[in-house]
Amino acid sequence: MKQLLCLLGMALFCSFSVPASGQDTAERLNTLENSSRSQSVIIEEQQKAIEALKDEIAKQKNQEAGQISREESLSSSRVSGFFGGSVLTNPNISLLVDTFAYGSNLNNSELENRGIPGFTTLGKDAREGFNMGAAEDGVELFIFAPVDPYFNVYVNLPFSDEGVALEEAFAVTTALPEGFQAKLGKFKSNFSRINAQHPHAWDFFDIALPYRAFLGNEGSGGEKGMQFTWLPSLPFYTQLGAELLQGENDQLFGADARSGPHAFSVFVKGSFETTENSTLYFGPSVLFGKTRNSNIIADAEVDGRSALYGMEAFWKWKPSRSEGVTIQSEYLFLTQRCDVTDVAAETVESLRRHQDGFYLQGIYQSGRWRFGARYDTLELFADTFERADLQQDPGATPWRATGSVEFNPSEFSRIRLQYNHDRSGRDGTSNNEAILQFIFGIGAHAAHNF
Amino acid sequence: MRIVISLILSLVTAAPAFAGVNVVATLPWIGSLAKEIGKDKVTVTTLVKPTQDPHMVDAKPSMLMAGRKADILMYNGLDLEVGYLPIILESSKNPRIVPGKPGNFDCSRFVRPIEQLTAVDRSMGDVHPLGNPHYHYSPGNILRVAEGMSNALADLDRANAEFYRANFGNFAAKVNERQKQWHAVNLKGKRFVAYHKLFEYLSKEFGFQLVGYVEAKPGIPPSAAHIKKLIGDMTHNKPDGILTTSYYGRKESESISAKTGVKVVLLPSDVGSMKGTDDWFAFMDSVLAALR
Repeated sequence: MKQLLCLLGMALFCSFSVPASGQDTAERLNTLENSSRSQSVIIEEQQKAIEALKDEIAKQKNQEAGQISREESLSSSRVSGFFGGSVLTNPNISLLVDTFAYGSNLNNSELENRGIPGFTTLGKDAREGFNMGAAEDGVELFIFAPVDPYFNVYVNLPFSDEGVALEEAFAVTTALPEGFQAKLGKFKSNFSRINAQHPHAWDFFDIALPYRAFLGNEGSGGEKGMQFTWLPSLPFYTQLGAELLQGENDQLFGADARSGPHAFSVFVKGSFETTENSTLYFGPSVLFGKTRNSNIIADAEVDGRSALYGMEAFWKWKPSRSEGVTIQSEYLFLTQRCDVTDVAAETVESLRRHQDGFYLQGIYQSGRWRFGARYDTLELFADTFERADLQQDPGATPWRATGSVEFNPSEFSRIRLQYNHDRSGRDGTSNNEAILQFIFGIGAHAAHNF
Repeated sequence: MRIVISLILSLVTAAPAFAGVNVVATLPWIGSLAKEIGKDKVTVTTLVKPTQDPHMVDAKPSMLMAGRKADILMYNGLDLEVGYLPIILESSKNPRIVPGKPGNFDCSRFVRPIEQLTAVDRSMGDVHPLGNPHYHYSPGNILRVAEGMSNALADLDRANAEFYRANFGNFAAKVNERQKQWHAVNLKGKRFVAYHKLFEYLSKEFGFQLVGYVEAKPGIPPSAAHIKKLIGDMTHNKPDGILTTSYYGRKESESISAKTGVKVVLLPSDVGSMKGTDDWFAFMDSVLAALR
């Protein structure tokens, strides 16, 4: 169609205009005139630069010999790289320090033993008084840099009282065509929303209850494996992804399972702009594989298969730098079929679980202040927990309500006061906890993901 | 399943027909320059809105989709877009625009930055060690950026190389002509207080003085004590105005103005941020008209 129009246009043009050769000469003349004009401008500019340089040389001569001009010494750092800053032989390094004070109506041994019956036997990490790190990682070291034109590498090393862990270390491809990208090494799965976020980037001190119940206090954590994502060239944002994981998470999977890799995930992330200043994000995902661990039922090993389905929704309104609202919600649904081996009695029974969890949270930002509220609950629609085909009753429905106030003196520091009314213990008692948390970041500026 | 696949495929192929070089610019002034040089041979998408503060932009999926389809990504550099540019570069999964490729165009490569800091840490606020990034107020630097841009476009689209170079010639001639008008206003000897460190290139090229800042440290809201001292100084020195932009510190500047009697001079922050600043020339015209 376009070609046809062009032909038609050309035909019309030829029939009305002077012979084509005359037109050509005029055009060439025009081009030459323009380029000579541009060259004279460049010459003028260069002459100015020469004058300036002469001045500078004169100035420098007055200065002490051997002193390098500031402009010259920095000219090598003028090219910006992937991470926005100067290109250096050294990688970008940033360090986060996370410290908090914790108070609760429960004592330390009660906190340590406070699991969620029917979901997890693992207790709370925090202790009365002073602590380092929301997920026991008081210091997190991030190192990132391009390897070459084909890969970027990211490493995240959390430090705790017990030592250093290897939370993440992975390479991301940057040269694959057609919107494909691969990630390999050890990384946090992009299953659902909170899972891939780092504890310091959470909107609250602690992870939402469904994550704690199904994956643990820090979500799935770093998993060894590979990830493939594809961003098709559509008019709207849709990312498709799949992961092949070793499956070492000790709540949903288990490092001691007999073969590997034995965990997989598939996810879709979609987004569109609801208004000029607001965006909606959503997407389903699933994480499934072999389960073998001792953290689901006290004094028993669970061995079988699990699938965790997730649905995320996140809406963000950001009209200016000083104001904003985010509303976020996720729903997780677990299916699990396992054998339960009682450690003491050595009896084997069947286990069938169909359980779910949900949270809804909102943050309002005004200037350097942020105010947050969250409600999370388990067993919203599904509460099947059958041991030897008999439905168990682990207790009242677990839920929690949270309120928080944050003051962020700058982009690099955060002071947060949070209060939880936590009824996830299922024994009628509540854990009323208050947390005063400080987070500090130094070093390279890491970009903020959405 | 087959239906889903065919649906996706039909959507992929139904994507808008390719028209010229697909330029994605982070900031409005960069988009404006790209249009001056590329004219109808390029399609320009600008990521940041003129009303947004370019220091504090959140990456959005729509930006990734623009980056995904870009032939060339043009950005300000000097760490200004450090909060969102790395995500666009990596997550838009487009090998044409990554650093080192001809489709990665850092405008600041052609700039002579001022205020490069050798000894710097964040106790000084949100400082840019590579130099002051707000060089779009500097005609001398913009001329060099535009030249670099014409060469980059010529490299990408060799068939139209002469076209881009000729457009740069016209652009440069227009800048030189306007420079006479802009410099006709004598600003030497004028003294201004500024809200943020945005106007240093202007001050350097047009010879006025910046005698104080409302923000004692860039990016960090001023303390009450600093404001009190500034008001004291200003009542005593009577500068010619408080320079600010509509997105950044307007309210604070107006309250200081009310207390000192020094007028607020509202300057456009970027192309399109105020009425009558539709391209870079109009933007500079209104900047100098406001300073008069």
